[in-house]
Amino acid sequence: MAPEAQGPLTETVFYVLLALHRPLHGYGVMQYVNDITGGRTSIGPGTLYGALTTLAEKGWITPVEGAAGDRKKEYVITAAGRNALEIELGRLEELLRNGNRIARKGQQ
Amino acid sequence: MSTQTVYRLYWDFEKEERWLNEMAAKGLNLSSFFMGVYRFEQGQPGEWIYRIELLPEMPQLPAGREYRKFMEDTGVQTVAVNGRWVYFRRPAADGPFDLFSDLDSRITHYERVRWLTGSVTLALVPVTVLGAINTVANWPGISATTPLLLVPSAILAGLASLTWRFTQRVRSLKAQRQLFE
Repeated sequence: MAPEAQGPLTETVFYVLLALHRPLHGYGVMQYVNDITGGRTSIGPGTLYGALTTLAEKGWITPVEGAAGDRKKEYVITAAGRNALEIELGRLEELLRNGNRIARKGQQ
Repeated sequence: MSTQTVYRLYWDFEKEERWLNEMAAKGLNLSSFFMGVYRFEQGQPGEWIYRIELLPEMPQLPAGREYRKFMEDTGVQTVAVNGRWVYFRRPAADGPFDLFSDLDSRITHYERVRWLTGSVTLALVPVTVLGAINTVANWPGISATTPLLLVPSAILAGLASLTWRFTQRVRSLKAQRQLFE
């Protein structure tokens, strides 16, 4: 898919999309993000709820039909979500490339 | 289990939240709240962290119930509901507990609170103006209704300063957002 213009994702959205590469419920997302950032980033439940709602409305994530007994709602990333993440990764690579080239010029 | 009842009125939910956490640090855990009546249960000191949130709609409506269920699934208990205000708590053992982790959601919440205090302030303007007219008309005497009309004026002044405080919070968070998210 060709990268299209898209504003930067927030850190919350970025990590929620990463976490949802496998189906998770809210608590799972919070734990996952806490783990892979080594505890640097914790998403508050209020913030997470807003992000999940917005992402689902946008079609970047979708609720998963869980087992009948499971009352917790799980979500998983969609193709549109993967696309948005891909665009963001391209943008982040550019930031890093330019940052390294200019700010760390003498150090390499 | 021993319980303790405290009667208090708070204007500022952040001060209220701070007080509830001070009580929890002493092992007095809020177990219910309604219209200024706080009930505490004796537990272990520092067992719970409390947070207060103003929801966009009544917590008993489907959207509010869904939100509280989501909170419950992440290990957050609803202790009390009062109007659109919800009193949450989570075990301190689960780590630091904040409802919001980015500037945007904190701004949204402060704006919601400011809208509430601001609307009540405006709603009290007519009765306060009447009070002022009444007082001036009877000057230098005091009409029987004057003391009654002082009450809404005092509430208006309190809420106006609170609205101003939240406006300042929103402003400083928005300034921060120029640099960070």
